[in-house]
Amino acid sequence: MTQDLEPMVKVTNVHKVFGRKHHVLCGIDLEVNAGETVVILGPSGSGKSTLLRCINFLEGPTAGSIEVDGVVIHAGENSKLRNQQILDIRKKTGMCFQSFNLFPHMTVLENIIEGPTTVLNQKKNQAIPYAEELLDWVGLTEKRDEYPSHLSGGQQQRVAIARSLAMKPKVMLFDEPTSALDPELVGEVVEVMERLAKEGMTIIAVTHEMHFARDVADRVFIMDNGNWVEEGPPDKIFNNPEQERTRQFLAHIL
Amino acid sequence: MNNNTTDQQTPAIPSGIPQEAQAVLQGIEAQETKYRRNLIIAFAVLLSLMIASLVIIGLDFKFMIKWLPFILTGIGYTFLVSSLAISLACVLAVLGALGRLSENPVLNSIATSYVSLIRGTPLLVQVYMWYLALPQIGKSLEEFGITGIQALFTLPAIPAGILALGVCYGAYMTETVRAGIQSIKLGQTEAAKALGMTNSQTMRRIIFPQALRVIIPPVSNEFIAMIKDSSLVSLMGVWELSYRAIKIGRRHFQSLEMLITVAMIYWVLCMILQLVQEKIEKHMSRGDRRTQ
Ligand SMILES: Nc1ncnc2c1ncn2[C@@H]1O[C@H](COP(=O)(O)OP(=O)(O)OP(=O)(O)O)[C@@H](O)[C@H]1O
Ligand SMILES: [Mg+2]
Repeated sequence: MTQDLEPMVKVTNVHKVFGRKHHVLCGIDLEVNAGETVVILGPSGSGKSTLLRCINFLEGPTAGSIEVDGVVIHAGENSKLRNQQILDIRKKTGMCFQSFNLFPHMTVLENIIEGPTTVLNQKKNQAIPYAEELLDWVGLTEKRDEYPSHLSGGQQQRVAIARSLAMKPKVMLFDEPTSALDPELVGEVVEVMERLAKEGMTIIAVTHEMHFARDVADRVFIMDNGNWVEEGPPDKIFNNPEQERTRQFLAHIL
Repeated sequence: MNNNTTDQQTPAIPSGIPQEAQAVLQGIEAQETKYRRNLIIAFAVLLSLMIASLVIIGLDFKFMIKWLPFILTGIGYTFLVSSLAISLACVLAVLGALGRLSENPVLNSIATSYVSLIRGTPLLVQVYMWYLALPQIGKSLEEFGITGIQALFTLPAIPAGILALGVCYGAYMTETVRAGIQSIKLGQTEAAKALGMTNSQTMRRIIFPQALRVIIPPVSNEFIAMIKDSSLVSLMGVWELSYRAIKIGRRHFQSLEMLITVAMIYWVLCMILQLVQEKIEKHMSRGDRRTQ
């Protein structure tokens, strides 16, 4: 594993307040090194999605700062420069959603080249070879010209992963990528995530896929009520947790 | 769907489908054929009844045919006015919808008052506003010392008609476009943003193309309504379709013939537009599960 001096993602004392007083994140710190895979677990409503969405500024943090691959943004006022930095961070991070969110008016291939052509101004024929490589990598070459509505959930999620990867991101964020899937389709998506981790992608995943958390993650974080309860290597978290709260939570989901 | 069944039936019975199922499939097909046949018969009967009643009331068909070319030359104006007006309306509708959805208070209030004012007043009054009242405003402004403004504000009938119709339909369509944009799920915007798209890229590439599918049917409806409302420019003395028909009808005391003629022309125009609409909708719905 490569260990840079600076972490790839650095979340510093991030707070998120919805409305005036719904305090969802209460001073979260998180450092993820390049190539590391981190899994976040926690009860529903504890703020896991909100944290992921703060990292790529789909939600603006109320306080604190976010750093991705050297781009630092502090919570607070909008400015031209800051908006540009937000776009920079988004280009460096890919995100996969629970509900896939493929673009239904575009074919699989068009979905994948949309980022490179629109955001990175690549020519179509410049973007297509890499898109085809990615399609092959997620095992969907034969679905190249299908529309998303003709694919199964597992296939859609794999296309969504390819769409994110087409931007050559430094970090991938996964927000419960398998929880909208039928049980028999979960495996194919987890398998792709696993290969991604093996190839050295930096990954932050919220997932209740225990195999992924146990066998693929380098570190597991437990969140409750917008705070970290505990963190550590999966071995320690699952077999020998320090906190009573972790024990309770794991007993609940295992 | 019909194509599929016939395609499968002609080259022998596909293997694997049991005998009873074959019978059911054939039953379904027979029923569909019967339904189509009855539908055609019903339409034919309706049409002949209409023609018969026209003959019975003693319509002067020779007169109608004699004046048909003269009335038809008015189609040019009708098309000119309604196509330019609908183009203007589309532009205004998109701008209006963006304004209505904007967080900028100035843009938002302008768009909101535009929609409210125009939808709250009769089209007829608006037509006269552009044609008769605008020059008066120009005159007052001229007296304030802005030279040349009165001439600018004195519009010929056709531009006044195009502006009146375009601005009016733009207001109604603003709401259609806004609703269409809002019907697209938030997840689409988030996926686009997560890729690093700017707001305008997200709107242009992701939201608007999807909203268009929702918007096309009501907008075609508006266009069809506009073809007919374009006859309002006859109030300003433009020789378009209905003006010609009414003039000739009055002059020869054969209004019934002329009105029926012009009504048929509008009807045919609208049926053509509806065909075009269906073509466009079919094209837009690719990627939709239902079309498979
Ligand atoms: N846009 C929003 N506006 C207001 N409240 C929100 C918003 N998004 C999330 N919340 C609230 O923040 C809290 C944390 O939500 P979040 O989605 O981060 O939880 P989660 O840990 O991802 O839960 P789950 O496992 O159910 O996905 C919840 O109480 C939720 O209602
Ligand atoms: Mg969540």
